[in-house]
Amino acid sequence: MTEPGRVPELPDYVARPASGAYRGLNPTTKLVIAFAEALFAFTVRGWTGPLVVIAVLLACAVWARIGRAFVPYVLATIPLVISILLVNTLLFPGATDVIARLGPLRPTWSGLTAALQATLRVVAFAMSVALFALTTTTDQLVSDLERRGLGRRPAFVVSAAIGTIPGILQRAREITNSQRARGLDTQGRIWRRVRGILPLAGPLVVGALTDVEERTMALEARAFSAPGRRTVLRVAPDSPRQRLVRWVLFVGTIATIVGVVVGALAWLP
Amino acid sequence: MQWVSRQFTTRVIVLIPIAIAINIVLGYTVQTVLKLPIYLDSIGTILVGVLAGPLAGAFTGAASNLIWQYAPVIGGGTIGPFAITAAVIGFMAGIWGYLGVYRPRPASGAQLIVAAVVAAALVVLVAFPIFNNPAYTDPNVGAYPDWVFTAAIVIAAIVAAVVAAFIYVRRDLAGIWVAVAGILTGIVAAIVSAPIAAIAFGGVTGSGTDLIVAALRQGGSNVYQASLGQGLFSDPIDKTITSFIVFILLSGLSGRFISRFPLGEHLRQTSQPAPELAPPAA
Repeated sequence: MTEPGRVPELPDYVARPASGAYRGLNPTTKLVIAFAEALFAFTVRGWTGPLVVIAVLLACAVWARIGRAFVPYVLATIPLVISILLVNTLLFPGATDVIARLGPLRPTWSGLTAALQATLRVVAFAMSVALFALTTTTDQLVSDLERRGLGRRPAFVVSAAIGTIPGILQRAREITNSQRARGLDTQGRIWRRVRGILPLAGPLVVGALTDVEERTMALEARAFSAPGRRTVLRVAPDSPRQRLVRWVLFVGTIATIVGVVVGALAWLP
Repeated sequence: MQWVSRQFTTRVIVLIPIAIAINIVLGYTVQTVLKLPIYLDSIGTILVGVLAGPLAGAFTGAASNLIWQYAPVIGGGTIGPFAITAAVIGFMAGIWGYLGVYRPRPASGAQLIVAAVVAAALVVLVAFPIFNNPAYTDPNVGAYPDWVFTAAIVIAAIVAAVVAAFIYVRRDLAGIWVAVAGILTGIVAAIVSAPIAAIAFGGVTGSGTDLIVAALRQGGSNVYQASLGQGLFSDPIDKTITSFIVFILLSGLSGRFISRFPLGEHLRQTSQPAPELAPPAA
């Protein structure tokens, strides 16, 4: 995970394209895999969905030689996981199979089961995001999608948004510090903190919007709205086998969702 | 097709990435610096919707959440699946833009007082279905703990008072529509979010609002109803605040800047009072 606000020394397009096991796959293939994993983990209820996805993800991680880099992504789910475990185990609607009586608390087995399944789903989802984010650079993904026919406009939006975030984050930090120096209360009671919203949001948004005019002119001067497709400088490698994998995952995911909706997969544990 | 392409002029295409960055950075800053139990991660989405139209707004919302999730610059978390909610919020903002909700409507005197009273009444009226939602009232769904109901009423009263004060102090009737738009957006957002939270995350989101979920569960609501009850509690407040922030921001931008966007004309003051001539020098 990039440190907040850290501006990378080299832009993505100068960096060497990803190569090696898993990383060398076409960026679109990795995106399709990530979406399929997320949808599968969330739609197939019970233990099967999340456990299968986690197994696949661990195999891919070993293949891609991602070890410790996974850890921060999984650790980031801890607040959510604690909340899931507490709320569901202690307060599961309609559950009567009490594990133990601890004062006023009545943890239940059905609550614990539901909580563990939800936890596995969240972890599977976090890992699918991590595998994608750790093996794919935005620049390569966007240029590959553009080669496949994603319009110039969405492509610009995605890469410009990601490129703009560090700058705006930096500006937000400066604004926060200046307003604190002028007496903005970030520790006091809730009412005082609510009053801090406008002094933070106002300068940030108005400041960011001043660039719109210049950027519009710059893009228009560079034939942004010209008809026709742009050529891609560096074509990401692809193979018929990957194309097959993408289609199988696409059709398979839709079939799974349909199966779950009509109840054809209810026999899975 | 013209309706679509009109919403995505080059100027809008330049605005969208900035709006996405504002959503992400402001949402993150408000939650970490001010530590408030609201999200405030849709200011950019609503801004684009109001300035450019429903499709541009929906695109901004969905792209914000997906980029926040999949390009983790500042912690992805659980925001991704809520891209659907964000898209709906942006779409509704576009409709408000067409209707001219955020257009300033200066007024004075008795008109203002009537408007302030009407606004307060409207807020209570719009908030009424929330209290009457089965999540809170149906004994079969769950007898919620009393304090949730009381808190909801107290908050609605505070919101009504603040909206009335806003109209009176700023001398602007638009406050009524800004508040109603915010509350309606919040209600729809809650209805769209509840099944997502229930299916994906066992009904909780890992933030402070989980306390409300727990309270509703304590009262016997099921997973979905508890999430819906929490959403109907938090989202209208969040979206009303966002709605007012967008209104204040828009009134701070120059008319020349605003009118260059596709819906710019819907945001300009229509009935400008004729400028009074200076009395002739004696």
